[in-house]
Amino acid sequence: MQKSLSLINDISQVTVLAEWVSLMGKELFLPMHTIFQLNLALEEAVVNVMNYAYPGKKGQYVTLTAKTVKNIDGSEHIIFVLKDNGIPFDPTQAPKPDTTLTAEKRNIGGLGIFLVQHLMESVTYERREENNILTMKYRLPQNTPML
Amino acid sequence: MTLEIQQDKDTITGRLEGRLDTATSQQFAAEMSPLLNNADKHIVLDCSRLEFISSSGLRLFLSLRKATIAKGGDVTITGITDEIKQVFTITGFYSLFNFK
Repeated sequence: MQKSLSLINDISQVTVLAEWVSLMGKELFLPMHTIFQLNLALEEAVVNVMNYAYPGKKGQYVTLTAKTVKNIDGSEHIIFVLKDNGIPFDPTQAPKPDTTLTAEKRNIGGLGIFLVQHLMESVTYERREENNILTMKYRLPQNTPML
Repeated sequence: MTLEIQQDKDTITGRLEGRLDTATSQQFAAEMSPLLNNADKHIVLDCSRLEFISSSGLRLFLSLRKATIAKGGDVTITGITDEIKQVFTITGFYSLFNFK
């Protein structure tokens, strides 16, 4: 399976992303739990780009590709690549929130990338040819039929 | 995303339905003002029909919790799904609320 999605940097596009993830879930016969996790991680990653990559600019593009791979050991992954040509920004360097604090001391924010990193097996960033490229690897549960 | 609010003597209940994502959280933030105005009371958030939550939704839950701490109320979350419970657990939010 290989597919791609192009979105403009408008928060309302999150709905389009959710539909894309839902369709991919149906095509790959993914369990509801997996679809939920992908929905969450991808929304956080995409919204992060929309919030930071293009300050003050509307109508800019964010592209997301997904590709399934089967590993030698039989495990299966979906590799997501999120690309934008906005200002350089490495979300993997964002400070991690302290999840042990009380409600009074918790800051409102900082959870998005933390969730992406928790739900994905790996998240790597590179800046290549004026593009921010975030590669996210999600390990599929066993016995998911591969298409 | 819809929020239906019902007020009794000491308790105010918000019933959430649908997706609380980045696109819908602005609308939810505006609709939850009756809950914030009653932060001195017992607030129940019925999440049995809440299908999805992202960090933007969690932020609003936290702002409500902070308001109740300041004004002497509390927040109880009911009917949470396993998927949403996992989000609360990963982020450390599970210990910030009462659950039933």
